[in-house]
Amino acid sequence: MSPTPSPLEVDKTGLGHDEVVEADRPWIVLVWNDPINLMSYVSHVFQKLFGYSKAKADRLMLDVHEKGRAVVSNGARENAEMDVFRLHEHGLWATMQRDD
Amino acid sequence: MILRRRRPHAFEHDGDRTAIRLGDDERSMLANLAGQFRAVVADDADPDLRRLYPTAYPADPERDADYSELVHDDLVRTRVAAADTVVATASAVSLDADQLAAWMQVLNGLRLLLGTRLDVSEEDEFDPEADDAPTRALLSWLGFLLEEAVVAASADLGDA
Repeated sequence: MSPTPSPLEVDKTGLGHDEVVEADRPWIVLVWNDPINLMSYVSHVFQKLFGYSKAKADRLMLDVHEKGRAVVSNGARENAEMDVFRLHEHGLWATMQRDD
Repeated sequence: MILRRRRPHAFEHDGDRTAIRLGDDERSMLANLAGQFRAVVADDADPDLRRLYPTAYPADPERDADYSELVHDDLVRTRVAAADTVVATASAVSLDADQLAAWMQVLNGLRLLLGTRLDVSEEDEFDPEADDAPTRALLSWLGFLLEEAVVAASADLGDA
């Protein structure tokens, strides 16, 4: 992310986008820092896609910007993949992996 | 003393619509860029498009190939449709929420494409003498418009 225009970190507290029902390891969705996306836009996308408060979206966005990445959601693989797709649709650099 | 006028906002949220406060030059520039963006995305061959189609499973090429096959055409289609919306509404007085979202998708997509072409980094400083200065100025202008669009769209989210 570039300063005016910016991305997240791994904060596993308070990320209850989806309740993790499965007993096995859930999938986590990561957003990675990049030099092009605007900070305000990234925060806006988190609010729009996940319904996060502005405060939470801003915190995740700053994690991306300062720590290089952040976990923005987690859950079953199908749900995580849908989140990744919607993030890609909005031009964010998102990946997913098993939580370990 | 001089009362300095601040630059008017590019977008102004009003009720359930967003007014466009851009001059004719800016509107035609944007329509032109959106048309070029549409052509490059539809052609789907420019390597500088790569930031628009990130890897979903970096550690699992097989799953990633499945994901890409599943979503790639949808991503192309949604971007082409968004570019069509921008071209069709570049001269409009105001936008509804879906149209504003399309504008934001195209503004951001253009920035990803141009930024990749320029190989920008967060530390870059603008050098007006550089060969790529015009493209960098364009990137900056698109960033201004996107910032303004975020402010207008945030009113829809109820947090403005």
